[in-house]
Amino acid sequence: MAVELIVLGLSHRTAPVAMRESLAIDPTEAETFVKGLLNLPAVGEATVVSTCNRVEIYAATTDRGAAFDAMRSHLAGRLAGDAATLGELDVHLYRRAGTAAIHHLFRVASSLDSLVVGEPQILGQVKDAYDLAARAGSAGVLLGDCFSRAFRIARRVRRDTEIARQSVSVSSVAVELARQVFDGFEGRRVLLIGAGKMADLAGRALKAQGASVAVTNRTRARAEEFGQRLGFAVEPFEELDKAIGRADIVITSTGARQPILSKADLTRIQKARRNRALVIVDIAVPRDVQAGASEVPGVYLWDIDDLQKEAASGLAGRREEAEKAEVIVEEEVSRYLQSQRGRGVAPTIAALRSRFLSVAKLEADKTLAQVPDADDRTRKAIERLAESIAAKLLHNPQVVLKKEAAGDMADVLTGAVAQLFDLPVLDQPDQPTLRHSTPTNQAAASLDEAAPSDSDPLAQAKP
Amino acid sequence: MNFSSALEIAQIGAYGLASGLYLGFHLGGMNALAAWGRRVFMLAFVFHFFDIGARCLRAQHPLSSTAEATAFVAWLLALGFLLATTRNRLAAVGAFAAPTVLVLLVLARVLPHEGAATFRGPLATTHVLLSTVGEALFALAAILATLYLIQERRLKRKDFARMRSGAAPLETLDRLSARCVSFGFPIFTLAIITGAVLVARLGLLQRSGSLRPEYVLAIASWVAYGGLLMARRGAGWQGRRAAWVTLGGFGGALLVLLAYFLRDLA
Repeated sequence: MAVELIVLGLSHRTAPVAMRESLAIDPTEAETFVKGLLNLPAVGEATVVSTCNRVEIYAATTDRGAAFDAMRSHLAGRLAGDAATLGELDVHLYRRAGTAAIHHLFRVASSLDSLVVGEPQILGQVKDAYDLAARAGSAGVLLGDCFSRAFRIARRVRRDTEIARQSVSVSSVAVELARQVFDGFEGRRVLLIGAGKMADLAGRALKAQGASVAVTNRTRARAEEFGQRLGFAVEPFEELDKAIGRADIVITSTGARQPILSKADLTRIQKARRNRALVIVDIAVPRDVQAGASEVPGVYLWDIDDLQKEAASGLAGRREEAEKAEVIVEEEVSRYLQSQRGRGVAPTIAALRSRFLSVAKLEADKTLAQVPDADDRTRKAIERLAESIAAKLLHNPQVVLKKEAAGDMADVLTGAVAQLFDLPVLDQPDQPTLRHSTPTNQAAASLDEAAPSDSDPLAQAKP
Repeated sequence: MNFSSALEIAQIGAYGLASGLYLGFHLGGMNALAAWGRRVFMLAFVFHFFDIGARCLRAQHPLSSTAEATAFVAWLLALGFLLATTRNRLAAVGAFAAPTVLVLLVLARVLPHEGAATFRGPLATTHVLLSTVGEALFALAAILATLYLIQERRLKRKDFARMRSGAAPLETLDRLSARCVSFGFPIFTLAIITGAVLVARLGLLQRSGSLRPEYVLAIASWVAYGGLLMARRGAGWQGRRAAWVTLGGFGGALLVLLAYFLRDLA
């Protein structure tokens, strides 16, 4: 059986967070884990993608049944033998092989299988998984092919669709809206009024982009603790007007029952600021800023409802774009499979060409032997004639084989050509082979005979 | 059809197509339309450049008549837009810049090409050149100010769905608009001075007995822009108020151009 890609794993779609936590592989132990995979029966190449939302083992194998069983046991080894949990593991695990596994990998890398569709981190995590395999010596032709293709597809999906362009969380929407006013956050002053979770997220996002963040709170100690923990400056709450006067962006999230900023307050503050742009993100419920304050010149006020609506619209937009992305992935899977099939006819064409040219040379030599007096010019003309006849006869079979390479007739045609022209047993050097054998894996061992391990430095490195 | 007519049709057609693509992008939000709009706009710009070159060979250089000067204003405006878009997200500006270039160009081509006899000589040439460049910069400033007002209104009204249509942040639009006025103002000032000297030399003021409306409008525009620059620097004016004054100033400058058009047509 040919070598194929398989994947075994679980994700946020199939397993609860507790199970994912139990199986998550720490970066420090990932290399050992992957090296352990290489010792499993029927597993040639292997790597693992481990994030907070998924743990997946990708492997190359010729015996998917044996490989799945071995990989499952290897993964289950991390659950410390708890029978109940082990039984539960099988409920959450999924197994994909061949085209389904390739399709799955392309979808994962393109962020179509992510909890938040379109999130950008997953591509980096899949790249890390491939780097890990390269370091551990467990990456070969098949993983290399599939993963590099997955990276290209992920980039195409991001380029050709809007899947990653819309914000889907309240904090990222707040940052994105502020970006519609300011042309960057470098040197901007951000004031957090209140020390809530969302203010924390938005404040950190803005700080990461170069803004200087200050926090103020009715309880000074709370502001100081919050500021110290996140590296934010602290402003006295009693001087709120002055602090707002200095700020470009205000994120307010206090627990006050009444608005802490009225339209009149902001009119006064803006007058002193000469109506310089002031973005106010009010994520408090009840609201901290009087609704009419958005009419004050230079003030751009958005409350939690606005942000949530925008986040929901971003999510809906991403879902629409995901449909386009799915089409791209489908297309790319077909293209990949076609290219794989195309590689299959190359050895047949090479063998056929070699056979024709050797016959032409043989016949030319025979003819020349009968005319020993022939001068160089005549000899060359006869050799060229023989080669030319061979090339002309080869032309059509080559064209047909290449044309049918990606079709269903490829195997039939290559078999027929081999039989008709008595071609030698074909080696397919471009096709993936299992990288190593183990004593317990007969199938893999037989493949190793076709691809001697001494030509493979990584196989030699294997313990 | 000769080469010149073909170039003329090609540039007008290409600017028209670019306008359609940019407007489609502005209304529909499809990024691909903006990308194609820019490509077609650049093609039109190149045709326009060769057309100006071909006209120079026929002694119809940009300063030879109001029509040629207007076509040159359009070309400078296109150049300014292309330069501005190299470093800023200004695809939405294309929806205003491309149609403005198109309208100016069509106006230039329907006007008679004979230059006014009173406006010949080095001083007149300098005056027309300075006015042309100044008008182009003010036109770009006005387009940016218009987009600022539209974007600002959408932000205030929380029209988030239409905000992601390729426009730069308000701050960028305001800054670029201010920069166009800053560069345009000294040039326009020199245009006013050379114009005044020209009027005095030709004794036009004495002959007509009063200032022509276009002179008054030109001075009013100059005062508006000067006041805006002072208010921006001295009183920290920016944003909506500055955008409205920029539009007002350009309105005056546009009327001056219109007055010359009408005179040429007459």
